[in-house]
Amino acid sequence: MSGQGGQDAKFFTRGKIQEFRAELEAAESKDKKFTKRKTVLKKIVANITMGNDMSPLFTDVVQCLGTPLLEIKKMVYLFLVCYGRQKADQLHLVIPSFLQDCNDRNPLVRALAIRTMSYIPTPIVIESLTDQLRHCLKDRDPYVRKTAAICVAKLYTADPRKAEKGGFVEMLRDLLLDTNATVVANAVAALSEIGDRQDGVIFKLNLTVANKLLTALGESSEWGTIYILDSLLRYVPERHIDAEMMAERVIVQLNHANSAVVLTAIKVLLYLMNYMENRKLMEYICKKMGPPLVTLLSSGPEVQYVALRNILLIIQRRPSVLKNDVKVFFCKYNDPIYVKLAKLEIMYRLAREENAREVLAELQEYASEVDVDFVRKAVRSIGRLAIKVQPAADSCIQALLDLIETKVSYVVQEAVIVIKDVFRRYPGKYEGIIPTLCEHLDLLDEPESKAAVIWIIGQFANRIDNADELMDDLTYTFLEEPTEVQLALLTAAVKLFIYKASSDTTKALVHKVLKWATEEVDNPDLRDRGFMYWRMLAINPTVAGEIVLAEKPAITTDADRMDRGALDQLLLHTGTLGSIYHKNPETFIRNATGKALADSPALNPLSRQVLVPASRPNLPPPAVVVPGPGPSEPTSTGAVSGTLVQTDGESPQNGSEASVANGTNGTNEANGASAHLMSTSASQETPSNEGDDDDGMVSPPASADPYAGLDNAFGGYMADEPRPQNRNLLDMI
Amino acid sequence: MAIDGLIILDNTGRAIAQSGFHSFPSAYPLLHIDALNSALANSPRHTDVDPVIYVQGLNLDTPSACCHIRRGELRYLCPVSGDVDPLYAFAFLQTFVDILREYFGHLSAETLKDNFDIVYQLFEETLDSGGHPLTTSPNALRDIVLPPTLLHKVLSVAGVSGLASSSANSHPFASPIPWRKAGVRYNNNEIYFDVIETLEAIVNKNGQPAVSTVWGSVDSNCKLSGTPDLLLTSSNAQSLMDCSFHPCVRLQRWARDKVLSFVPPDGKFRLMDYRFAPATASAVSQAAVPFILRTGVAVDEHGGSIDLTLSSRLTTRTMENVYVELYLGEGATGANCLASHNASWTFNPKSQTLVWELKAVVPSANYTFRGSFTSTAENPRPSRAFSVRFEIPQHNFSAIKIEQLKLTGEVYKPYKGMRGTSFGNVEWRW
Repeated sequence: MSGQGGQDAKFFTRGKIQEFRAELEAAESKDKKFTKRKTVLKKIVANITMGNDMSPLFTDVVQCLGTPLLEIKKMVYLFLVCYGRQKADQLHLVIPSFLQDCNDRNPLVRALAIRTMSYIPTPIVIESLTDQLRHCLKDRDPYVRKTAAICVAKLYTADPRKAEKGGFVEMLRDLLLDTNATVVANAVAALSEIGDRQDGVIFKLNLTVANKLLTALGESSEWGTIYILDSLLRYVPERHIDAEMMAERVIVQLNHANSAVVLTAIKVLLYLMNYMENRKLMEYICKKMGPPLVTLLSSGPEVQYVALRNILLIIQRRPSVLKNDVKVFFCKYNDPIYVKLAKLEIMYRLAREENAREVLAELQEYASEVDVDFVRKAVRSIGRLAIKVQPAADSCIQALLDLIETKVSYVVQEAVIVIKDVFRRYPGKYEGIIPTLCEHLDLLDEPESKAAVIWIIGQFANRIDNADELMDDLTYTFLEEPTEVQLALLTAAVKLFIYKASSDTTKALVHKVLKWATEEVDNPDLRDRGFMYWRMLAINPTVAGEIVLAEKPAITTDADRMDRGALDQLLLHTGTLGSIYHKNPETFIRNATGKALADSPALNPLSRQVLVPASRPNLPPPAVVVPGPGPSEPTSTGAVSGTLVQTDGESPQNGSEASVANGTNGTNEANGASAHLMSTSASQETPSNEGDDDDGMVSPPASADPYAGLDNAFGGYMADEPRPQNRNLLDMI
Repeated sequence: MAIDGLIILDNTGRAIAQSGFHSFPSAYPLLHIDALNSALANSPRHTDVDPVIYVQGLNLDTPSACCHIRRGELRYLCPVSGDVDPLYAFAFLQTFVDILREYFGHLSAETLKDNFDIVYQLFEETLDSGGHPLTTSPNALRDIVLPPTLLHKVLSVAGVSGLASSSANSHPFASPIPWRKAGVRYNNNEIYFDVIETLEAIVNKNGQPAVSTVWGSVDSNCKLSGTPDLLLTSSNAQSLMDCSFHPCVRLQRWARDKVLSFVPPDGKFRLMDYRFAPATASAVSQAAVPFILRTGVAVDEHGGSIDLTLSSRLTTRTMENVYVELYLGEGATGANCLASHNASWTFNPKSQTLVWELKAVVPSANYTFRGSFTSTAENPRPSRAFSVRFEIPQHNFSAIKIEQLKLTGEVYKPYKGMRGTSFGNVEWRW
């Protein structure tokens, strides 16, 4: 090959139109084996690929179309595809050749001709294509039929109404029953493409056709298998038994070598499980889904990444899938960072009392690694583990204290941030470690960690002997601090004053801070809060104390979980971009149609309760969400300020009550805008962490917009999660 | 479910070849190339770029995503603008790379440029302009796009007249089995199986494995005439878990009897992948790591010292090409070490890694490695684990053996061959 190799590279020289034209003319005589023409055409194609405009040669090149050599035909067709639309006025010259090729003896030529025509969507080509396509869809050669099927989708894109009038959709439907599996698969692909268009006909499957498609699975290529499996989501089972039978036939595809087939099969199974009743079978399916997901992790990092993002979704809906496989997600230090971060998140989600010790040991290992981002997340995960798994809390706290001793600045900062949450989760249990935290104040230079430690000092000012000294030091730079820290300082100063009202220093301190906040600061949040505190303290300090130091709702890790209805909907997109970004595709892909679980008598009642109708794209946002003031707390909005706001009526809803109310009429609009602001704190009910969600009580939709809680589903911890960048569009949902 | 096209970049980030993006603005592929190149430039390590990059469209309403992989010195990009399974894009990219390898052997920018017409034919045949994969089975492809060697041979010897594909006496796509072409003839009927197993393990400080998994795959090279229907029985099949198969394998049969029944494709293909789970009494069974590494690492100001002892746990086999690597952390400048048994060591100042390389590790011998390193960092932070790679020829962790290969549908008796190789990839924490 190397001997021959060099010869083609020489075609990559910039050629002149005139030269090529002359060469083509010269090639018309004495060119028995068409080698001359072939050489010139190769040069022209090489120039096209280099981006040189070869369109002036249109008429000359088109003349070669009559050459009975497939290789030359292919190159001319390539030329036509590139410049056909530009030269629409000259296309009529080509039509006769097209028609001739459509009736060629060789099926490859027939297929090539209609394929090329479908690539040039100008009226004149489309006109002649429609007739030819009708014949080709009934061609005796399967290669032509399968090419024709895809061409119908192209025709539909070019002129939907013409394709519908011409009866092409019906013809495609007939192809679903073709004897050749590849033809069936391509017909499915074409119908799906048409069905995914917003202006397209709706493509739905009934039981007979769905079963017929399943039989074609065995003989289709891997891509065909994907199309067919994907199309099964368009079948809505009417009876439990239908869904169950179908799932049993899909399960074998989990053993396919192609990772995309595996993930699509999992998507179908997850979908069908919504319509099942047989718990035993569902458990069996869950058990079967685990190993193929694990196998995906033995592939390259790209596949791992996609798999991990999907696993994250799947285990939230079906926690039993990988229940015992937490070890699979242990990170190697040379894994790419995106794989490590995704694994870490999954490890946290799979952590239970039984494996907490192993997980903690791993997390500690990661906390000593080199990569800053990863270390930070590992430290945070230790804290989250303490909050999630109560029996492991002691050892987690010990691990965090050990980490603080390392005095590595970013480790200490992360540790402080999570310890604040731990205090709230287990009130009165770990306050003994506060002095240790205060020893490391000087290491904190980031707003979030500073705000956290200030919150701790304020909240527990009665237990910290030198709280006033510490606060005095911290307020020294008040006016230069970022808003987040200023808000924390303001609240902490008020708390300190309430605890130690008799002390002169605290009085002076709170006065100083309030004066700054109300007079020297431009931020309206800060100023308003300053005034509010000031008035409260002026009118009745005792009541103010009750309000500011009111009992806080204990935080839980529930808000980490996505809303069940949203999750059901996202899982319909398993494997797709939507599942990578954890967003519904219609929110970031133009022309994407939303998918929603369809209601049917067989639909699992709990799925029906949280049913989210497919949203129409580009709806105006239902309400403007204003982030509440106060230091941002990952698991519940506005803890400090929340105590002030929450008193006025809108107390966190009791899950069971609300679900009864909501269960009867589905998504309750009445929850409306006021709940919107509190979407995260409203879901305080205890979820059944073990077993499927189907067993437990279903959380009430936190608000009218099921995605309101989505961003918080990761509790703000997933700052580095991949997501589309045009935030303005996404923030509106 | 359709991808937008395919772009191949050389190692400087310039496009070598790309499929036709006919239904897109001409800037569309460039946009993706730029997005990837700038993402690579902004990332400290090239491997840390997300495999799915979000690409802002020219006008704000047409965002898209760019899936990319790197194989050898080339990068392959797959722009996606619909809600498509990225795995679908990755699976297609991998298939396309495999096809290119099949056609050209070693892949480099030069090879692709030299054979650009074949590359473009492959684009045309594997992917239609709407992004639906067409023909990706190498068996069927070879009928419609002649591989370079065969093409030149046919052209020079026979002097082609008429259609190129008519040189193959069988009609393309005539075969009823999509992955196998019809009318194959060989003088010697033989089939070879390569069983390759890789141990992936993480060993904790105390020498206990935290995770240890053996992934295996069976690659096959089939040179059998006609349409042979094979039935392969193997010993130890019960301990093969989580299998995935080439589409030719009858899945129902495996589920029932744990035997492989299939009509093989012609030529090279991967028959199956699996995970090996040793059948032991304990519920959690893990493969054993075949060596012990005793580590002593001390970090001081501007440097540190390393003291390692490696010994094999195997009784008869020799481990070959053992590499023990340690990343010495930002700022590492050099190392000075001493290795026993004439083993060699190197320090790569660019990647700041220290590598101890042993050509062979025989059983019952202790290999030692001692040395120190220097660093410009005051507190060097070497990675917390050694990465150890090794291979064991003629050996399989799973001890899988072919017991019997039955052939029906044809009259000849095939020759079968099997070879095993094991690799290891162990992270040893200290």
